[in-house]
Amino acid sequence: MTMKRGWIAAAVAAASLSGIGTSAVAESATLKTVEERGTLLCSGHNGSYFGFVEVNDKNEWKGLDIDLCRALTVAILGDPDKNQIVPLSWAQRFPALQSGDVDVVIKATGWTMGRDTELGLQFSIPYFFGGAQLMVRKELGISSASELGGGTVCVAAGTTIERIVADHLKAENVEHTMVSFEKTAEVIGAYKAGRCDAYAAWGPSIAVLLANQFEDADSHVILEDKLSAEPIAAAMRQGDEDWVDIVNWMLAALIKAEELGVTSSNVDEMTANPPNPTVARLLGVDAGMGERLGLRDTWAREMIAAMGNFAEIYDRNLGEGSPYKLERGLNNLWSNGGVLYTPILD
Amino acid sequence: MSAAPPTIGRFERLQRRVFRKPLDGLVTLFIAAILAWLAWQAIDWGILRAVWRAEDAALCREAHAGACWSIIDARHRLILFGLYPYDEHWRSTSAAVAIIATVILSCIPWFWAARRLISLWIAGFATYYLLMEGSPLGLEQVTTDKWGGLSLVLFLFSSVVLLGMPMGLGLALMRRSRLPMLRWVASLLIDFIRSLPLLTTLFTAAVVVPILLPDWLQGDKIWRIIIAFSLFFACYQAEVFRGGFQAIPNGQFEAGMALGLGKWQSLGLIILPQVFRHALPATINMVVVTFKETAVVIIIGLFDLLASAQAAFGTGDWVAYYMETYIFVALIYWAFITSLGRYGEFLKEHMKQEDH
Repeated sequence: MTMKRGWIAAAVAAASLSGIGTSAVAESATLKTVEERGTLLCSGHNGSYFGFVEVNDKNEWKGLDIDLCRALTVAILGDPDKNQIVPLSWAQRFPALQSGDVDVVIKATGWTMGRDTELGLQFSIPYFFGGAQLMVRKELGISSASELGGGTVCVAAGTTIERIVADHLKAENVEHTMVSFEKTAEVIGAYKAGRCDAYAAWGPSIAVLLANQFEDADSHVILEDKLSAEPIAAAMRQGDEDWVDIVNWMLAALIKAEELGVTSSNVDEMTANPPNPTVARLLGVDAGMGERLGLRDTWAREMIAAMGNFAEIYDRNLGEGSPYKLERGLNNLWSNGGVLYTPILD
Repeated sequence: MSAAPPTIGRFERLQRRVFRKPLDGLVTLFIAAILAWLAWQAIDWGILRAVWRAEDAALCREAHAGACWSIIDARHRLILFGLYPYDEHWRSTSAAVAIIATVILSCIPWFWAARRLISLWIAGFATYYLLMEGSPLGLEQVTTDKWGGLSLVLFLFSSVVLLGMPMGLGLALMRRSRLPMLRWVASLLIDFIRSLPLLTTLFTAAVVVPILLPDWLQGDKIWRIIIAFSLFFACYQAEVFRGGFQAIPNGQFEAGMALGLGKWQSLGLIILPQVFRHALPATINMVVVTFKETAVVIIIGLFDLLASAQAAFGTGDWVAYYMETYIFVALIYWAFITSLGRYGEFLKEHMKQEDH
């Protein structure tokens, strides 16, 4: 593994050396590989993860993370279908990234220090925030996690949620037993069957479940304690900063488009008649958007035309257009009371 | 219980067995009541109160609704074919049928000659590959990463058994060889692979090999998995064959030589048929275990039957009905494994007849 990484690092070093003296045009090794291959390799899931990675009735991938992969594919290759979604388990996603089985992991992945440093990964700007929360039966009469003493908590194995809940309960000195399962559906099944007192998961996921999958939704309560605010970001291999730039600006462009009111339906109009200089730059009417990343100037325009802006992608997969009807909440723009923002498009 | 010979009188026999003493009778009645209650629950939930059609999915949410088979109606194509493109499903179906037909045909004694069997399997596999991949036939190309569901399981399983069986026999023969070099190599390989869990072996093939080997040597992930899985199977099967060899007295080799047969002739004509017979029950066992173990490929990202089943209920509309999905998948596994077991019985009977 280190050998391959060494090679990549060497290649990147060589690329950056040769770039000295010229203008700082991006020369991402990963981008080059993707362009030569003609296919972007993204992460899928070994099954489904509600709203983020799913398979529809036509045996095709869908979901928020899949749409972001497709958006990235448009940005690079100009066609949302020129990608290959590699099914990966949670545990397999990082080894697969390191071995080159995928070019990027967009898979509801939390940005943690351990992953950033020890695993040799780089993370994009976060595109989603979800905090770990606990759900319990109302009959327990609990209103806070600290009252869970002696209880059993069901959680999905190998996720950041497991660690966050354990740390939180330990800090509060709450004696508890943790029961972990490989599959989200199994965790829910165990909670429903009464094998555990509390169900720990992402707050948004719990809300979705409670609203849709519980016949007795009234007899359960989601505790208010937010045990974390986990930033969800795309993960990439260390050593290719220019690739990180591309993924970052792909996400930024989607969010910026929402901020500027550019949607898939009005993008052509906006291109013909940009209301302000930022929109003109974003849509490639003014040059410069593409060259700096090693892409076409029109990449963001094509991407928005094909996939929509961030709001459209969210609504389609998690919001009003999905079975989940999840409110934006934290995941709204900063100007609408959320925490999503973009770097400046200058 | 019910299979008593009619000569003694079925009822009398039953009475003697389960109602001998009053306490026996009570226990019998109690257990029968529990079984009847369970059966009633299953029928009531699974059939009487069940919702069957995808269009009726809304009825599943009503309080009195039983099993929601609508999910199978709506998502069975996902379960059976994984990520295979929707419009090309007929190819996946035909490919699976080709594999099943190959397996069934090779159960017919007429095919039990090396040349016929080998041609049959090559034809079966070629059909499968051509249909699934498509490009040599001028159909739309479907890369192996899109293969999935039941047809992938059948392919993995039959490739592993097909490659693993001769490899296992080869390893068993090497381990019995008079040349120490061959013996050591075989023992080392068998002991090494057997000391590793299957998952580790497959993970190595899927994830570590691409890091070590140059690109042109890697091949598709699915082939690496099949080779690693076959090797794993072969190492266990070699030990099964070794047991078969040990059951045969050395005198038979000598008898073969005395008849003027060469080493390979006596092996093929005298020893191996007996080895197969001795090794048969354990071999069927290995084959059944292998069929079920194909489910671990989910970990290295192949969309097998179980993975696609999980994808089938892993969406907002269907998540509540995972039980129905698992039952459906369990029935599929049950059907195949029962057939394998039956085939084992048939082989045993057949070989017994050959004895006389």
